[in-house]
Amino acid sequence: MRKIGVAALVLLMIGAVVFASGRPETGRDGITLMQNKPEIDAMLQDYGQVWSDSSGIGITIKSVGGSSGTSLGQQLRADYTAGEMPDIFIIAGIEDYREWESLILDLSGEKWVADTSVAFTVDGKVYGFPVAIEGWGMAYNGDILKAAGVDPASLTSYGAYKTAFQKIDGMKDKLGLDSVVSMAASADMGWVTAHHNFNSLLSNGLPYGDMSVVKDLQNGKVDQNRLQQYADWVELLFTYADQTVLTTGNYDAQVGAFATEKAAFLHQGNWVDPNMDAAGATFPMAFAPHGSLKQVTDGIFVSAPSFYVINAESKNVAAAKQFLNDMVYTNAGQNFMVKEAGMLPAFSNITLKPAGQLSQSVQKWSSAGKVYSWNQYQFSGEFRDQVLAPIYNQFATKQISKSEFVQAMTRAFENRKN
Amino acid sequence: MNRFHRNNVTFWVFLAPVLFAFVMVVAIPFVIGGFYSFTDWNATARAGQGLKFVGLHNFTRSFQDPSFLYSFIITTIYTLVNVVVINVLAIVLALAVTSKLRFRNLYRMGFFVPYLIGGLILGYLWQFVFNNAIPAIGNALPFLSTLANPENLMLRHVDTSIIALVIVGSWQYAGYIMMIYVAAIEGVPTELYEAAQIDGASGWQKFRGITVPMIAQAFTITMFLTLVNSFKQFDVNYSLTAGGPATSFMGKSIYGTELLAMNIYKVAFVGNDLAAGQARAVVFFVVIVVFSLVQVSINKKKELEL
Repeated sequence: MRKIGVAALVLLMIGAVVFASGRPETGRDGITLMQNKPEIDAMLQDYGQVWSDSSGIGITIKSVGGSSGTSLGQQLRADYTAGEMPDIFIIAGIEDYREWESLILDLSGEKWVADTSVAFTVDGKVYGFPVAIEGWGMAYNGDILKAAGVDPASLTSYGAYKTAFQKIDGMKDKLGLDSVVSMAASADMGWVTAHHNFNSLLSNGLPYGDMSVVKDLQNGKVDQNRLQQYADWVELLFTYADQTVLTTGNYDAQVGAFATEKAAFLHQGNWVDPNMDAAGATFPMAFAPHGSLKQVTDGIFVSAPSFYVINAESKNVAAAKQFLNDMVYTNAGQNFMVKEAGMLPAFSNITLKPAGQLSQSVQKWSSAGKVYSWNQYQFSGEFRDQVLAPIYNQFATKQISKSEFVQAMTRAFENRKN
Repeated sequence: MNRFHRNNVTFWVFLAPVLFAFVMVVAIPFVIGGFYSFTDWNATARAGQGLKFVGLHNFTRSFQDPSFLYSFIITTIYTLVNVVVINVLAIVLALAVTSKLRFRNLYRMGFFVPYLIGGLILGYLWQFVFNNAIPAIGNALPFLSTLANPENLMLRHVDTSIIALVIVGSWQYAGYIMMIYVAAIEGVPTELYEAAQIDGASGWQKFRGITVPMIAQAFTITMFLTLVNSFKQFDVNYSLTAGGPATSFMGKSIYGTELLAMNIYKVAFVGNDLAAGQARAVVFFVVIVVFSLVQVSINKKKELEL
């Protein structure tokens, strides 16, 4: 009798383990969405629940990314090989598109295409739904600049920045600052230098969508004049940055220095709004242009950095399309995008305004048409992370001089393999 | 079913799950990966994707890559230093814990706890210590003010970053290796020590003459473990230095503390070149096998048969 009891218990335990991983029933087939902004994961999960309830379709939301752990691209590759490709996922640009080209559905006939100007298109066909508008420039602390007597509207060229930095640097103690600008160039912050700062070289001062500098560099032709001015700008940022944050600081250290008013400028974008909110930073802040050229460059870098795309092999394409549509045309969707996730919507029919100061600043520059494009994704991730980022790091840790930096960058473009 | 038969079945029933997991997760991917390293495999849905056989191209390209060669050198250096530091530390701790020290059982548990903390968390903990805590001490104590200078941060230079990696690596593994030594030391018969005591041997002579030869078997195991674990180090590397400060090697700017496992990871996943990463992983495997075979055969010769 006892043996039967034990056997039954063992079977029960095995059964519990085996069936514990089953999916809950959702009525109609559910869809899976995978995205790469962990900072909005909680809000997205809530919205997913709301959408599920109203549409009757289950949705599973997975957020991958952040500074450590797998990135979205790696997770997608793993899931694709496992046969678990999500129904909706994110691509950042043309490189990612080519990775997944045979899987991405043509969305040219969707309703939202008419309401946005930044959808991801290839050869005239729309493939990507813009997640949000994002932008970066030099974020500045309005109070500190006023106390130092620097007019943010004048910060539009290298010369203006040099004067301003020198002035603020001389008043560091009086203003309670550790450094003028919070800049990071360590190994795991290579994206700040080799993606964002690098873009100043590619598009600052050029009309929106102009690819002339990009094409030249891709063909190995380096405009030494432009590169030299850019190197001066990089040197300026590195010289007036907090050396600890610059050489060994992580994201929290860099953003934290600005949020706690230890630095007057921050080299990041409007995605730090939630961080500012969490740190309780209420001082006035906005964006000023990058001063990477001697000429006046009156604009900041604005674009839609990532796009939702639909998996063409998904079993529930209609539900995925409905999810994207509902995000633009229902109150719940608009509320999620703008109010809860704090993102700038890329759609002209949405009238809500985000709460973050930096997002509002991006919106101001964008409405005034003073925008420059994001061209860094025209170069592969490997080139930016493995070839350019170490060069910036060596320059920041003073292992190479400015002229060696220029030489190393030139060589990198001339010897670029991909 | 006679007793022999039943024991055999029991044996296989208990072994089956682990064997199944090993075959599925280690053995089969290893073979498949070996095959892929000779192709241009990439696990994505590019247009026009097919599998093309490229022979030894991935291998030759890897050996021409400065960052791969540099990773080899830096990993070898790191392994040598790490093995020595961990084992010395572990033996010292093992001797302390098997002596008549008070609270020795508490120490035994305490030294072992770091091993239970995952590598990623360890890396971030120590990153905070090196980047924030040590400069804070420098700010607080005037005679240690050099510590507060950003130029003197350990993670700012390649050589001190390697030392930092060794510190964290030994903090993580010393307790685990200590346990192995403790088990071995406790297996040495006490009559030998008593006899030596009567003959007037000093502590050091007792250690060199009795303890070391008797625990030679433990040396084989610990050397092997520390060698292989140091060579394969990844999560502490990733979280503590993320490849570390950049340096110049063979005329190219590369990351200075990028150990081999991280180099393979970066090539495969950051560089989107899974086949090249796989080729490097095969080379990695061959090197580890050769090193550990050499090490084990040397150690085995010195073992005493009781």
